[in-house]
Amino acid sequence: MKTTQATATAILSVLLAVPGGLSAQTIPDHPDKLTYKEFSYKPPTAKEYRHVLKAGPVAYVAEDHELPLVSVTVTLRGGTHQNPEGKEGLAELTGYLLARGGTKTRTAEELEEELAFLAANLASGYGDDRATVSLNLLSKDLDAGLKILREVMTEPRFQEDKLALRKEQILADMKTRNDDSADIEARERAFLAYGEGYAFNRYITRASLDSIKRDELVAFHQRWFDPKGMIVAISGDVKSDVALRKLEETFSRWPLKPQTAPPLPKPSHKMPPGLYIVDKDVNQGRVSVMLPGLVRTDPDYFAAELMNDALGGGGFSSRIVNRVRSDEGLAYSAGSTLAGGVWFPGIYRASFQSKVRTCAYATQIVLEEMKKFIDGGGTDSELETSKARYIETLPRRFGTKAQTLGVLVDEEYTGRYQTDPNYFANYRANVQKVTKADVSRAAARLLKGTPTILVVGKKEDLLNPDPKHPVKYPELAGGKVVDVPLRDPFTMKPVAPATK
Amino acid sequence: MRRITTLLALLLTVLPALAQEVKVEEHTLENGMRLLLVPRHDEPTVAGGWVAHVGSANERPGITGISHLFEHMMFKGTPVIGLKDPKDYEKDLQILAEQERIRGDMRAEEAKMRVAFRRGDIDDLAKPENKTARYVELEKEFDKLVAAERELIAKNAFSQIYTKQGGSGQNAFTNTDITGYFVTVPKNRLELWFWMEADRLIRPVFREFYSERDVVFEERRLRTESTPTGRLDEAFEGIFWQGHPYSWPVVGYPSDIPAITKAQADDYYSLFYAPNNLTVILVGDFDSKDAVALAQRYLGRLQRGKTPPPEMTTLAPKWEAEVRFYGEAETNPQVDIMWHTVGFQHKDSYPLSVLGDVLNGRTGRLFKGLVDLKPADRALATQARGTQQSRKYGGLFDITAEVKEGKTPEEVERAIYAELDRIKTEGVPDRELQKVKNNSAAGAFRRLSNNNAIMFQLISNDGLGDWHEMNEGPKKIQAVTSADIQRVAKAYLVKENRAVAVYTRKGGSQPDDPALAGVPAEMRPRLKSQLAQIAASTDAAKLKENIQRMESQAGNAPPQMKSVIELMLAKARERLAQLEKK
Repeated sequence: MKTTQATATAILSVLLAVPGGLSAQTIPDHPDKLTYKEFSYKPPTAKEYRHVLKAGPVAYVAEDHELPLVSVTVTLRGGTHQNPEGKEGLAELTGYLLARGGTKTRTAEELEEELAFLAANLASGYGDDRATVSLNLLSKDLDAGLKILREVMTEPRFQEDKLALRKEQILADMKTRNDDSADIEARERAFLAYGEGYAFNRYITRASLDSIKRDELVAFHQRWFDPKGMIVAISGDVKSDVALRKLEETFSRWPLKPQTAPPLPKPSHKMPPGLYIVDKDVNQGRVSVMLPGLVRTDPDYFAAELMNDALGGGGFSSRIVNRVRSDEGLAYSAGSTLAGGVWFPGIYRASFQSKVRTCAYATQIVLEEMKKFIDGGGTDSELETSKARYIETLPRRFGTKAQTLGVLVDEEYTGRYQTDPNYFANYRANVQKVTKADVSRAAARLLKGTPTILVVGKKEDLLNPDPKHPVKYPELAGGKVVDVPLRDPFTMKPVAPATK
Repeated sequence: MRRITTLLALLLTVLPALAQEVKVEEHTLENGMRLLLVPRHDEPTVAGGWVAHVGSANERPGITGISHLFEHMMFKGTPVIGLKDPKDYEKDLQILAEQERIRGDMRAEEAKMRVAFRRGDIDDLAKPENKTARYVELEKEFDKLVAAERELIAKNAFSQIYTKQGGSGQNAFTNTDITGYFVTVPKNRLELWFWMEADRLIRPVFREFYSERDVVFEERRLRTESTPTGRLDEAFEGIFWQGHPYSWPVVGYPSDIPAITKAQADDYYSLFYAPNNLTVILVGDFDSKDAVALAQRYLGRLQRGKTPPPEMTTLAPKWEAEVRFYGEAETNPQVDIMWHTVGFQHKDSYPLSVLGDVLNGRTGRLFKGLVDLKPADRALATQARGTQQSRKYGGLFDITAEVKEGKTPEEVERAIYAELDRIKTEGVPDRELQKVKNNSAAGAFRRLSNNNAIMFQLISNDGLGDWHEMNEGPKKIQAVTSADIQRVAKAYLVKENRAVAVYTRKGGSQPDDPALAGVPAEMRPRLKSQLAQIAASTDAAKLKENIQRMESQAGNAPPQMKSVIELMLAKARERLAQLEKK
């Protein structure tokens, strides 16, 4: 046992009570009168951390010896969009069982015991647009951990019983698909935005789950685990040159002959404007007002970000929050988000949750605020606030070495490192040069269309507004309301609504 | 085999005694306010927070939710912050006073509405149609005053000033025991932090009190009322803590939130937000000498409270009886078992916490005993976990499990008790205990990975009573023995000390078994309940009898019933096979 280090330096209040020169200093009557020492901030660059391993992967390496921990993350090309038709869930199961299903030399149980004893967190999974394998462990166990990491990535066992168990858990989750209004809203939003057949909307069904066999996991892994497309990040309590050497070893002599995964397909669907209601018996409605978004490489991207910040993205300094929440007390959470699409434009969305009988009124306010922004643009003060937020909070994205590498890996994976390597170096200037005219242009572009409005809540009450603010939903939607049926949780096919 | 032994040899080298010490400088101002400072220079920011040693446990029925509502009000500004022109402050105060006068009249009407509700004359106090005519009139008058004040107000100025100066992540939270406020500022803006926090502590102005009360009610709807199990969870916790202030929800009872008055909030402030009840926490890139000087200059102006905040004296009553709670919701069937245990820094809280870790994870007892069994049909749950919750005034040990299709909550419950019994009688083997401790030690490191994480640790531990716990607690975990775990399991995890909640899927919301697809819709509900009975049956002999009866009837059944009987037979045989395997 280590002896307790000197920790708390308790200074007696007696000492503090002695009046010093400082107490004579006056306190300005407004915080705007405070002055600050300037300090310059230079965002990190990829160059400081980036290496290419002989076997192909790009490696980002950063030292941080504060804690005796090391974190390794492998990012891999691919995504759940690679699931063959009728095999929805194959990528998810392969991804999950990579770390959870044992390896050639270890059963799943042995692997779990070993990881648990080392207090090592190993996880793997397939997401929409990438797969990841990550390991966080004590630095003293790094060699053992990297051996496991290699085994897991090259010789996974996909143990049959663990596959069955995972299927059982997915099935249990499937049953809850209509339970929470938040899940229903998120799902139907994507269906409206990207269309029924789009990759994001191909759900695991009972039939697809049942049909997936172990052999298919093996084949999927063999086919797609390509070191050439991998990006590895290692940060923490290990010397950079040592880390690099260990990574070279981990990825050398790759035993698989995989292919490079295809990119995420782009949706071709056009979002249908209108008002859509999912009838769900809850006393708070969930509302999304959606419009087409833009890609982050768009020339109007920064202007659009700043516009969104003032309209609804900037929390308590944004108009939607001020009106829907603070003025009217209609919602706890309200605001807007601009995805700044990486692969395709995505959607621009304002959203809130309010008691069902005030949803229509709050929706009207959101639409009003959008219109006001198109007509009047932003103010100088709003632009100043938004710029400050974007510029001054940049350091927080690089708060720790692990976070820094996370950002740099994302830049590399999504291709901006290759097309715009100085993105962060120029970030401040790019934000700074946005003018009010730019913001107005972005508002006109993004907000002018007819939105797609999705509401989940008890329909009867949604259409029976609070008499104090008798806004009628059909009137907001040009008279037409489309009923969106719930989906069968096992097939995800719409269930015909009960006739009332 | 050889491979496993070498593997074990490798692994049994246990972790070096890990003792992560966060160096904290502690200071106390003359007015009793404490400062905890952790200079740390890897990011050019400072995470600044403060904790008020007050939470919903300090409330009473009638004002439940006031701690949390108050937390919201602390963002509404000061005489200088929150007005377009600070010269309008007098005018603003006049409007606020006028608003209160009308609210007084509205409260009189609300009292009448409550009488009408108690008599059954109106069905729902929240329904707008049930407002009295006078109330609607007063509401219009009130709204006019709100509109008048809006002319003067600089909306959400408190947050905007921070934003303009690069502040981020500004927020606050309330729980049963503490209220915490926090924001991260660029390292050169430390004085701004002191200016802003001191100003709102010294002279907060509770503008927009009544619309914020509505916001809080929407928060309640969001988190509790419109989630699948929110209301049931709230009721179950209420029953578990009956007789103790933990029994009411932090967000407040739905009838209390709309009844809290601004005058009550004012009293609450002067009692619980005195400097001697607050601790300031700074973690990040600053010099502690500067921070102490700024604290003296800005926060030293706060006046010590006239009377110390009253102590919360109620102890959780002992019921000496098991409590059972059955609820239906749109959820998969689940079991939630809670035992009364001990609170923050109680010596038994450490072995209880280790017991939780023994149960959890993919190598934990619950996973192996309930979820991942061979053959798979012996498994009873799809997930399960246990935790010791040590709060300031008491604690609980909680095990929850999601019931696997075809199994019953009662089977799951029995299996949980069996796992606990095994630990009570056999203890926990050395290697397993060491594994759990290794994870606990590594977890202690992982919790210290950035400024914010350290700040939250300090807010939480100081809020509960002693920030040293952040450094001392992990050592106490390392000292826990198998005998300690057996002792606490036997002492606390007993029948008369527990409450058990069983949730089943609400009628009609059960997703259909695809096997039911061919069955006429009108027959489904009856059939479903019969299938549920079959799935839940535990008596093999009786089931066999039923199967024989069904087999003999199958031949005589009308054609449209044939598929139904076959389905029931198939399910019954499946169940029988399971029962006979045991």
